[in-house]
This record gives sequence, structure tokens and C-alpha cells, in this order.
Amino acid sequence: MSTFAVIARREIRLALRNRSALITAFIFSIWFPVMSALGIAAGAEGDAAAVTAGITTITLPVAVFLGYLFCADAFLREKRDGTIETLLCAPVSLQRLWEGKAAGVTVPAYVMMLLSAAVSVAAISGLTGVSIAAEPLLILHFVAVVPIWIGASAGLIGAAQLALGMRENQILGFVFIFGFIFLIVLFQQIVPAESGISAATEAVLAAVGLALLALARFIAGKVTKERIVRTIP
Amino acid sequence: MGVNAVEVRGLSRSFDGRDILRDVSFTVGHGEIFGYLGPNGAGKTTTIRILLGLLAPGAGEVRVLGRDLAADDDARARVGVLFENNGLADRMSAAGNLAYYAGLYGVEDPAERIDELLALVDLADRRDDPVGTFSTGMKRKLGIARAILHRPEVVFFDEPSSGLDPGAQRMVRDLIVELSRREEMTVFLNSHHLDEVQRICSTVAILAEGRIRAFDSVANLTRASGRPAVTLSLAGPGDRACEVVGNLPYVTECDADGDHLRCTLADPGATPDLVAALVGAGFRIEEVRRSSRSLEEIYLEHVGQAEGGA
Ligand SMILES: Nc1ncnc2c1ncn2[C@@H]1O[C@H](COP(=O)(O)OP(=O)(O)O)[C@@H](O)[C@H]1O
Ligand SMILES: [Mg+2]
Repeated sequence: MSTFAVIARREIRLALRNRSALITAFIFSIWFPVMSALGIAAGAEGDAAAVTAGITTITLPVAVFLGYLFCADAFLREKRDGTIETLLCAPVSLQRLWEGKAAGVTVPAYVMMLLSAAVSVAAISGLTGVSIAAEPLLILHFVAVVPIWIGASAGLIGAAQLALGMRENQILGFVFIFGFIFLIVLFQQIVPAESGISAATEAVLAAVGLALLALARFIAGKVTKERIVRTIP
Repeated sequence: MGVNAVEVRGLSRSFDGRDILRDVSFTVGHGEIFGYLGPNGAGKTTTIRILLGLLAPGAGEVRVLGRDLAADDDARARVGVLFENNGLADRMSAAGNLAYYAGLYGVEDPAERIDELLALVDLADRRDDPVGTFSTGMKRKLGIARAILHRPEVVFFDEPSSGLDPGAQRMVRDLIVELSRREEMTVFLNSHHLDEVQRICSTVAILAEGRIRAFDSVANLTRASGRPAVTLSLAGPGDRACEVVGNLPYVTECDADGDHLRCTLADPGATPDLVAALVGAGFRIEEVRRSSRSLEEIYLEHVGQAEGGA
């Protein structure tokens, strides 16, 4: 097995045993989308296209949040307690370690995301009677755009957590909450509920996600072991 | 470079304008147990971080097995390390943690090796328990197993007995000695435990205020005390013996403490004459010991009384 797979698999296993993160992720990824989906359904007055667009809108901020949630264990905790230092002595490059960890964060976050989407759709159809068709664009959104965004979120946040000191990381946490609210508003602008999802907006979202992923890779490439070790508390 | 397991030449490093290491040089031969001694904050951890390629040297050159570990990912597979953090995940089992490192280091036949090591550190019956349920001593033992899992040629231990009770400290010490023999590893031991270093190390370097104050074999350091001395145990009080012995030409100093007599000799070969003189004067001798200085005395001399103590 490649070292990438070894690292990713460990993070997935650890995430699956991280009860508090799982519970938080579960509550958040169910409660938040269901509440907003119900709001959307009420506003859209039974318009299935508008509800679909609403769901799409909410998934990406949730994806980013889930990435953050699982990064806190995979990156930040291992840095805070110093485990990262031992990992940096292994015969793998820092880039590989970052990739493996980011991938290992992406998988449980993505599973949670799919669960969240399934519950949202079920809740909306159960409570409002609007049935949401599995149209190709919606499937594409969940199969491609969502995982790209989760990966970008995990990669960016993970790289930042490795590079920053504990204080700066605390600030990052606060900034993140505001960024999260900002993202929701932003996506509602990009994908207005009335018009439903379109190939154009999905293409833009996918492109932005890929750009963020590339940015994460670039930033991770700039982080040095010296930087990480010197910011261990 | 390359004949030695570890080579440090003219190493300097500062943090935020503060000099931590100043022109540090020493070498560690293959198969040695090397003690790197110094008070807290002396720069021991910084030195091994530089050796392992985690921090860049400010000046000078370092090599482990002839390689620069910062630049050489593969060479790091031949080196092991145990920092004060054991590098273990609490939510994973003992065996799971070792299996992860086995994957990272590409260990062949990992299952067999993991069982062997768990038995060696006496954790075989806890192999499937999460490490989070382990005591500090158990975690340290597992950390040691983790550090040597891939059969490294050189292993760095950073204060391996810190935070442990005396029983666990002893166990860790014995384990390191046994492992270095069994697995033929070079051991680089950071410590401020003088007793520990004196017991298990063949060579030591003493680091204080960023400089190497002494670097030699433990035998040489403790022997090179200047004047030879002997301690005699008598079958009775020694006060009067001092009067007898004090007049001998080769005895420069004599102290009696109960039935113990400590004499400093002008000539290291004079011990038999001293014994003969005492026996001739009617004293009965139970034990004669050539005294050497303890590492602690040497350490305090170099580090200074103010910061001394272990
Ligand atoms: N990342 C860092 N940034 C600034 N100073 C540091 C850093 N790491 C260590 N130091 C300082 O360098 C000195 C040596 O530290 P260290 O190598 O940990 O000593 P030791 O391991 O011998 O106790 C200490 O004074 C410590 O405060
Ligand atoms: Mg230290």
C-alpha cells in the first residue's frame, strides 16, 4: 500500500472513532440543511426546482464546515500535542503527509455530507410533499462538486493549521465562523432559488472548487517542517 | 563524513536572535549508547531536531549515517525517534498504532514484528486496547517499540524517562540497553538524569549554555580525576588509622568517616603499600575500592552549581 493510502486510512479510522466530532457533524449536517431546506420549501411554495437549488446552495458551506470539523482532530490536535513531530520524521515528504491527511479528512466529511443530503431530501418531501427528482445536475453536484469542495476545505484548513501558531489558529477559528456565514449568503446570490440549478453555475462552482484545491496544494507546498515544529506549543 | 553514526560539526543555531547552540561538535560511533547531557533548556532537543531535519542548522554541518536527513526522505527510514510525545494516537489500539508506523516505514512482515515488539515491551495482552487507556509508563514503552519498529540503525531518545516513576524509569533504561544490544542500534540519548547516563551510556557530551563542555567516554571522564584515591572499609573505627597513614609519603590526604577511610594518593600504584602499612599497624581491612568521581561531580563542575542537580 502506498504511504498516501496508509496515512489517509489512519485518518479515516481515527475520524470514525472520534465520537464528539461525529456527533457534532451529525447534528450540524442534519439540523442545519433540514432547517434551511424547510425554509426554502416554504418560500418556494412547492416549486421543486427552487427547492433543489436551495439544497445545492446549502451543501457547499456545510461541506466546508465538515472539512473544518474533521481537520481539528487530524491536523490541529496532532500539532498541539506534538504527535506531528514524530510523523515528520517518517520517510515520507511533508507534501505526502498533508495529502494523506487531507484525503483522510475528506472521506468521513463526504459521507456525512451525503447523509445530510439524504435526510434533507427526505425531510422536505415528507413535510412539504415536494418531491425532488434525481436530475443529472444534482447528481453531478453531489458526485463531483461537493467532494472537490470538501477536499479544498480540508486541504486549506489543514495547511493553515500546520503552519500557524496556536493563537493564530484560534483566530482562524473565529474568522472561519464568519466566513461560513458569508459563504451561505454568497451561494444564495450565485444560485438564486427561483432559477434552479444550471449547468453554468455548477461549472463555475466546480471550477472555483478546483482552484481552491490548487491553492491549498500551493500553500501546503510552502509550509516547512521548521515552520510546523517552531509553532508547536 | 560517514564513518560515524552521527556527526555534528561547528553547529550553531539561534532562535529570535538568542544563541541556543554555539559551535557544537561531536561524533557518535556505530553501536554506541551516547548520552547527551545538559540542564533543561540547554538545547538538547534542538540538537536532535536539527539532526532529524526538522529544524535547519544556523551554521555548521550535521550528518546521520552520513546523510542529511532534511533532504533525504529515504534515509529517514534508517533512523528512529522517540520524543517526549510518544507519537501515538489515543483512539487507536497498541497494535493499530504500530501497524500505522509499519506502513509508513514500509516494514516487511509487520504482523510478526509487531507481535515480537509487543511481547518485548510486555504489552502483548493489551495489543487491542486503545492507547488512551494506557498509563504513562505503558505509553512510553509502546513509544519505544514504535521508535525501533523498523529496525533503525540509529535511534534518538529525547528524555525517555521523564515524567515516569522510579520503577518505570528503570524499566525504560533496561529496555533501551537490551534493545541496543539485541538490535545492534546506535542510541542517542538526551537526558538530564546523570545516574541514568552513567549507568547505560558509553560516551557522553555535556552541553551547557550552548557549548559542549565535555565530550569523552564515561570511563575516561570519571577516571581523569587528577589524583587517584582509594576508599577502605575497616573492621573498626578509622580515626586512629588516619594518624598512621597520614605520615606515609605517598598519601597526600586522609579522611576517616566511621569505619571508612578515604585516602588520596600521590602515586596511583601505591595502593598495595597503603594496605600493607595498615595491616602492619594491626588494622583489619574488609574492602578496598579505587574511587572514581561520579558523573554528577563532573557534570556540576562543567555546568556550574547554580544550574546543577538532575
Ligand atoms: N521554537 C522555538 N522558538 C524559540 N525558542 C525556542 C524554540 N525551541 C526551543 N527554544 C529555546 O531554546 C532553548 C533550548 O531548548 P531545548 O532544545 O528544548 O532544550 P532542552 O531539550 O535541552 O531542554 C530553550 O531556551 C528554549 O526556550
Ligand atoms: Mg528537551
